[in-house]
Amino acid sequence: MLRELGALTRREFLKLARNPQAIFTSLLFPLLYLLLFGQGFNINPVAQVHPPPSPSEVAALLVFYFRGAPNYYSYFVAGMVGFVAVTATLFIGANVIFDKLFGVFKRTRGTPAPSAAVFGSRLIAGSAQPIALSFFVLGLALLFGHVSGLSGLDVTSSVGLIGGGEVVAAIVLLSLMFATLFLTFGILLDVPQTYFAAVNLLNLPVLLTSDALYPWGTMPTWLQNVSQYNPVSLAVNVLRETLFGGAAYPYPAGIYLFGLLAWTTVLVGIAIALVRRALRPLT
Amino acid sequence: MQTVQAIHAENLVKVYNGKVRAVDGVSFDVRPGEVFGFLGPNGAGKTTTVSMLSAGLRPTEGRAVIDGLEVNVDPEAVKRRIGVIFQEATADGDLTGRENIEVAAGCYGISAAEGRRRATALMEQMQITEAADRLAKTYSGGMRRRLELAVGLVHRPKILFLDEPTLGLDPQGRAGFWGFIQKLRSEEGLTVFVTTHYLDEADTMCNRIAIIDHGKIVATGSPGELKDKLGGDIVTLKTAPGAPDMTGVLRPLAGVYSVQSQDGTYRVKCRSGEPFVPLAVEACTRAGAGVTGVTVKRPSLDEVFLEFTGREFREEEGPTATDRAVLMQSVQSGLRGRR
Repeated sequence: MLRELGALTRREFLKLARNPQAIFTSLLFPLLYLLLFGQGFNINPVAQVHPPPSPSEVAALLVFYFRGAPNYYSYFVAGMVGFVAVTATLFIGANVIFDKLFGVFKRTRGTPAPSAAVFGSRLIAGSAQPIALSFFVLGLALLFGHVSGLSGLDVTSSVGLIGGGEVVAAIVLLSLMFATLFLTFGILLDVPQTYFAAVNLLNLPVLLTSDALYPWGTMPTWLQNVSQYNPVSLAVNVLRETLFGGAAYPYPAGIYLFGLLAWTTVLVGIAIALVRRALRPLT
Repeated sequence: MQTVQAIHAENLVKVYNGKVRAVDGVSFDVRPGEVFGFLGPNGAGKTTTVSMLSAGLRPTEGRAVIDGLEVNVDPEAVKRRIGVIFQEATADGDLTGRENIEVAAGCYGISAAEGRRRATALMEQMQITEAADRLAKTYSGGMRRRLELAVGLVHRPKILFLDEPTLGLDPQGRAGFWGFIQKLRSEEGLTVFVTTHYLDEADTMCNRIAIIDHGKIVATGSPGELKDKLGGDIVTLKTAPGAPDMTGVLRPLAGVYSVQSQDGTYRVKCRSGEPFVPLAVEACTRAGAGVTGVTVKRPSLDEVFLEFTGREFREEEGPTATDRAVLMQSVQSGLRGRR
């Protein structure tokens, strides 16, 4: 099993390395969001209040609007990590469909390589990209904080080893979850158009019912209620609570991480059942 | 002790969508070391049969045994004993030839070091060493087929399934490909099961042939046996311009089955060509028609094919009932969200 997994994973990374345009484009997407959307949308509700609020009022406003982040940009960067973890996995299933169309998948299925190796190799390569991109977003946003004239990520809490571990775990779980989901779509479907229709049907509602991009304080109550169960929100909560402190959150970051783990476990379980059926030796 | 057949198919049936019988009770045996040709018109059930034999498709009824292993019981063990060269190109164009073989080796659980060693040896054997580190998408058609063959042989299978292996290759490429197959067969005792659209290939390369039509096997035997079943030779006589019609003269001669004529050329089907020719030439000359040319030929597989299926081998056809059934099943499966 390990040799099969190793060989197929090597293939996935070789293909990725042979496509520098795709790597460049995947980096460009978050870069543009951080550089244009985040900078342009960097609202400051504190500045709208007259007379100027007291420090305790400022803290309360930041908790209300940005869940403790010192400004929208910092709030947005944590959300952007969740956003990237979802969007960077979109193509993972499409690659399976193209491999089916080009006969490569048929070749692999003609070998005794177990379905776990076929699925696992694509999952490893497909998750590596969003995970790497998520850290690219965090690093870039921290860097912007040192560039004159640009807003950057302003970490206001001491992160520590456990906090850092929780951030990594949240990013990994969220990436794995969506990579599993879209990979399953790719294995079950045979037509690229159907795949992208299904992915968009899921992708947009998931992102738009999360608090990844909207300032929390401006969201209607019903959306806040829906959002708190959204897996993207759960991951973003872990990041924001770790980076900006837990004043705005009723539970510690570990609880949100547990919620995310529950989501991932359920979805991966469903995916395994469907994929095992689809990839069984004789169809 | 009874010899284990390389391939044993017993009453194989495949029904798509519960109504289209793509394969309808196919039974045959392939002996170890034999090259067995599987011929049939488009949609006859060739590829479906190959898929069932190579552990890719579950038969609706019947059983297939490969090298003593039941395909339905242990498909993964069967996959380790067979190599499959698909009709379409399946090598990954974004990987080099060497990487394609190494990845395939890994899929059979072969270690990376051994995979590298076998890739080098196979590329040398297939004469594509110079292109080993080029992306497969830059290969010519012939090179790509040789790469497919190398990929299919990396785990040293005992039985090789070739589904239209030379489709789209030029005559030189076809000859080269078959040269490799014959070499492998003689050196390694490989059993080869091949479907092909080229009857000349089947005639010269196959020890035995089965012809399938509408999902049923209509004839089996060596190329010579199948031709013999047609019952004789074909003699073509050409008479001098302006000569009278010789149909009535030729038909009563001994051993003649049928005579067809067109513009002074007579196609005579008879029991045996050699004794017939002097009789025919003498009869024509006596009747006032000088014979300007004579050819004798044994029936080709084209004629065998025509005889058993009722159509020309290369007749162009639209989508068959099976094609449509497979397409519909695929679409419906897609809609149901499962393959």
